[in-house]
Amino acid sequence: MACLKIFSLARQGATHRILQQAATNNLVQKRSKYVHVGLKTTSDDLKNSLEEGMHEIYLTEIMRGLGVTLAQIFKEPATINYPFEKGPLSPRFRGEHALRRYPSGEERCIACKLCEAICPAQAITIEAEERSDGSRRTTRYDIDMTKCIYCGFCQEACPVDAIVEGPNFEFSTETHEELLYNKEKLLNNGDKWESEIASNIHADHLYR
Amino acid sequence: MALDLFRPLKNLYKIVKQNGGVTGSLYKLFRQDELKWGELVGEDKFGNKYYKNDYYFYGRNRWVEYNDKVWLDYDGSQVCPEWYGWLHYKTDYLPHEDPGRPVYPWMQAHTQNLSGTRQQYIPYTTTKPKIEAWVPPSKK
Repeated sequence: MACLKIFSLARQGATHRILQQAATNNLVQKRSKYVHVGLKTTSDDLKNSLEEGMHEIYLTEIMRGLGVTLAQIFKEPATINYPFEKGPLSPRFRGEHALRRYPSGEERCIACKLCEAICPAQAITIEAEERSDGSRRTTRYDIDMTKCIYCGFCQEACPVDAIVEGPNFEFSTETHEELLYNKEKLLNNGDKWESEIASNIHADHLYR
Repeated sequence: MALDLFRPLKNLYKIVKQNGGVTGSLYKLFRQDELKWGELVGEDKFGNKYYKNDYYFYGRNRWVEYNDKVWLDYDGSQVCPEWYGWLHYKTDYLPHEDPGRPVYPWMQAHTQNLSGTRQQYIPYTTTKPKIEAWVPPSKK
């Protein structure tokens, strides 16, 4: 309401008078008690400046700098010593892909191709055929790990938890072709990492 | 907590004692670039030893010492999946006391990253070729 009043008065050209009145009415606080926390001003003559300059540049500055360096030597390092110590990781971490199996040992993938459809990088190639027992299975399940952007859509799309992005991130290779994973390689990954994959899924079971 | 001026020296004593004297400590320092003291919490089937000491801050309080046999060929991928979660601070359970870790007969033994060795993975097709070359009929 007060704002409106000032506005309407201002339009009539009475701003200056109103603001003055406001100041006298203690709307604008007056501060007279304060503590100066900056550098203390010293006299500006030649002798003083020279002395300060000598101290700052040639002695105390260097010694203080060396002191900081020396202290860092005895400090606990802020970095980790990688292959021996490893950084914290989430159970939701999206690393190397793996195809999982049911506890019976039967592979989970039913070749629904949802992962292939949702993959934004089109890194997955699937071909399906009827297996001799009549079940629908993949004959080809290739992932080009150099196309993959590790978005995790494939594992979210999968209705049977077959394709997952496992916890492993230490799968760098020396050649490009080693990263063109086929079905066998993905199943092997699943068989090797099942302990950790199952543990991650268990850790996240309340949120999925 | 009172300031303990001799703490660094005490820690040094502990470290040297745990790592097998002066020569043992130098050996470890050469191989691991760092000397620490801590509690041995377990060993995996590859002979890697896992240590823990909460004196060091989070991120440095769990570590692995790789099997002596690999000497300088240690690699991050030599940590087996059972210990992986513990070492990466995902869980506080040690592998043998974790209830959420299944063991199935079809599970395979862990291998380290084999890239650059003779056992490395080489991609191949898992289907029959769609197009087959024509084989001319032989005249007999």
